[in-house]
Amino acid sequence: MSGSLFVNPFHFSTMHENPGDMLGDFYTHNFEKGRISHDSMIINLGPQHPSTHGVLRILAELHGEYVLRAEPILGYLHRMHDKMGQVKTPWQFLPNTGRVDYLHPIAWNWAYVGAVERLAGIEVPERAEYLRVIACELNRIASHVMWWGAFVLDLGGVTPILYAFEEREKINDMLQIVTGSRLTMNYMRFGGVCADINDRFIKMAREFIPRMRERLEMYHKLVTGNVILARRITGIGPFDPDLCYRYGVTGPCLRGAGVAYDTRRAEPYGVYDRFRFDIPVGETNCSMGRYMVRMREVEESLKILEQALDQLPDGPIMAPKAPKATWKLPAGEAYFAVEGARGKIGIHLAGDGGKSPYRVKLRAPGFSNLSLFAEASQGTLLADALAILGSLDLVIPEIDR
Amino acid sequence: MNANELYESWRGLEAQVICRHEFKKTGLTCSAVFTPSQVVTAVRKIYEAGYFLEDISVMQVKEGFLATYHFDSTANPGRVALRALSPEGRFLSITSIYQGAEWHERESADFFGVSFIANTNPVPLLLPDDFQEAPPLLKAEKELAAMVDLKLFGENPEIIDPAWSSLVSPVKEQKEEGAA
Amino acid sequence: METILVPYTTDITLLSVLKLVVALVAIILLLIANSVVMVYLERKVAGFVQRRPGPYEVGPWGILQTVADTVKLLGKQILIPGNSDRFLFLLAPVLSMFPMFLMFLVIPYGPILTGLEVNLGLLLILAFAGMEGLAVIAGGWASNNKYSLIGAARAVSQSVAYEIPLILAILALAFQHGSLDLSVLNRAQEGWIWNWNIFTQPLAFLIFVITCFGETNRAPFDLPEGESELTGGYHTEYSGMGFALFFMAEYTSMMLVSFLAAVLFLGGSNAPVDIPLINGVWWTLIKMGAFMTFMIWVRWTFPRVRFDQLLNINWKWLLPLGLLNLWVTALVMKVVGN
Repeated sequence: MSGSLFVNPFHFSTMHENPGDMLGDFYTHNFEKGRISHDSMIINLGPQHPSTHGVLRILAELHGEYVLRAEPILGYLHRMHDKMGQVKTPWQFLPNTGRVDYLHPIAWNWAYVGAVERLAGIEVPERAEYLRVIACELNRIASHVMWWGAFVLDLGGVTPILYAFEEREKINDMLQIVTGSRLTMNYMRFGGVCADINDRFIKMAREFIPRMRERLEMYHKLVTGNVILARRITGIGPFDPDLCYRYGVTGPCLRGAGVAYDTRRAEPYGVYDRFRFDIPVGETNCSMGRYMVRMREVEESLKILEQALDQLPDGPIMAPKAPKATWKLPAGEAYFAVEGARGKIGIHLAGDGGKSPYRVKLRAPGFSNLSLFAEASQGTLLADALAILGSLDLVIPEIDR
Repeated sequence: MNANELYESWRGLEAQVICRHEFKKTGLTCSAVFTPSQVVTAVRKIYEAGYFLEDISVMQVKEGFLATYHFDSTANPGRVALRALSPEGRFLSITSIYQGAEWHERESADFFGVSFIANTNPVPLLLPDDFQEAPPLLKAEKELAAMVDLKLFGENPEIIDPAWSSLVSPVKEQKEEGAA
Repeated sequence: METILVPYTTDITLLSVLKLVVALVAIILLLIANSVVMVYLERKVAGFVQRRPGPYEVGPWGILQTVADTVKLLGKQILIPGNSDRFLFLLAPVLSMFPMFLMFLVIPYGPILTGLEVNLGLLLILAFAGMEGLAVIAGGWASNNKYSLIGAARAVSQSVAYEIPLILAILALAFQHGSLDLSVLNRAQEGWIWNWNIFTQPLAFLIFVITCFGETNRAPFDLPEGESELTGGYHTEYSGMGFALFFMAEYTSMMLVSFLAAVLFLGGSNAPVDIPLINGVWWTLIKMGAFMTFMIWVRWTFPRVRFDQLLNINWKWLLPLGLLNLWVTALVMKVVGN
């Protein structure tokens, strides 16, 4: 082109001057080794793709519209939280936990704070425990509602996500009062919480509960009863319990498979043993089951929220012997798990008595849930594979950590 | 099969150390140490008992690399941990039993440079494929702590393999080292 | 039989050519105006459905938003992917837009307002409607992109599938009125509202509405685009005016099926009451606008169907129903005619 007087009128620009650029990278080559069929097509879904909720990349071998096999490629949003946990003091690392999962940051706060408290044997005041429950459940509702919108968006329904945002904004307004932020919240402290709720918060929360129940009914009318949606997700991506155990799937995906397992019940932390709530399980183990589990979980969270507001005791919100910034983590090992919106969030913490932890391992529920995708998507249609992907409720920063 | 029965069964599986833990303090009910090859047998046993894999957490200690496999059960909640110590960081993969372990193993291989033999897809997971630097979670020699300093084995560990007695119980000279 | 196939305007005079030219220019202006209005309308209706204001920054109530969008699209660089079929890649958007003009020639806008009076108007529209699919295939193939290719493959089977029930539904009308001339069909619906074909042929109207969404690739049948699966489908690689032309073609085909719905089923230029004085082009436009708004409303309400479901609806429901409708119509006409 350059230097030539003749300019091709059709030549505006060329993206790949070198055809070698189009031959795929390391992961594509690795994926091609397992090629099943010779007339299949290998397609990259992502890292930028509307249905992967961020920068997830999925390599899929397609035969027509059928997915012969798929392999998620991770690491596009990897920030090495494990390393940061090792080189920073617990106080310095604490804000990181809110950045792991942007939809349910309070649960990650709780997991880390809980692990440190378990290791150091710090007692948390009762009021702080209740405040933690209130914040965590509000955040869980926001996360589930957001999932609902995004999932329908994956199926081609554009409108529900904007309805979902309405409720999410209401919850964010509330959480902003106590945490000061709307996305990467950092509410918990070792031995308590950072701020007490005020009358305005209580008023808003009291108003929110009946409103959310009404809205849930509207959600069901708007979306759940839709015949196109029902046909799209009923029977798609059945997970049986054994499959979930082999992949370590937890949370609504496991409950969707019919296993009533909830960390809040199985190993009660905080004051969760004081509340009456049901563990919804899926009637069918398909995407529809997972959908219904999440919708019913919002109701259960509202129940917990109502009880927590009723029972809220007076008292301090920080333990008297709460650690200061220069505090050293004692030697030992602790594992603390909480129930996040996506499943079991676990922090494996080991200390050697130094300023910073010896080892911090973050167990992200989405990581285990997504690992199932390769097996679950085999032999499905491309559209179904993406419906399964959506039903897993992915938050990529959490998976890549 | 609950945690207690598992605990008893580990004796027959040539465990090196078996320990009970106080759940409120550590989040574990019981744990056992196996050789890297024997741990696969124990994992199979755990799978048959209906447990699911929570995660695989590798830790670098003075004695080498310690892989901790966390399991939990939906029927009998209570976390159990299996551990395997490998001085050179070579473990056997458990992907044939728990397919979900593939990613956990690949992640550990990325972070620590350890290898899991017979992993079904042994390529980098979270780090770039052309990552040239040293594995990021490796510690310098002077930062390493011994297992005994990390108090991994609970109050009264049951030592079956006598070679482990010095590694588990705080014998005098090691205690001095740890304090220093 | 032979008389049917001879068009009315057999003699080509200067006047008829002039009329054709004026009609074509008017149609081009109409289509451009339509795209401008439709982009704005779609965004406003979407905003209304989603309980947000929609565009409101540019101009009063945001009515100049489309102008701003057009300027932006004109300023965009046209990227041509490497190793693509450059000629076809550039031809496809043009191919998607230009056959549209011809189809608008034969539509009777008012009782006597038609660009070109031919007695085979319906056939002409159905023939050129296939060109749209061709353009999508060409664009998808030439892009050298796997998403585009899948989108193009979907477009082929979709347009092949949905054309058949569409023809069956329209054929029932032709049986009923004994003509393929749109003006004749328009005039046949004069009088009270129950003379409209929507009341005489409700099943055909239902089939027609469903196939309209399939033919125009609109949600819930927008599988060739399939944003959440195929990112952009056949127009993934298009930018600037190439994309704009595809976009305009979508709105133009929407307008076409809306005009067809108005003329074929909703009484065309006839008022719902039997007062011939108030009949006129405005009725066609109102009905067309209402049908287009309905299509927008559907798009922002429903999720997308899956591809096998799309074909199932067509082959297992619409086709047998269309055949049944045609058979019943033929039987009734035979009995009544005798």
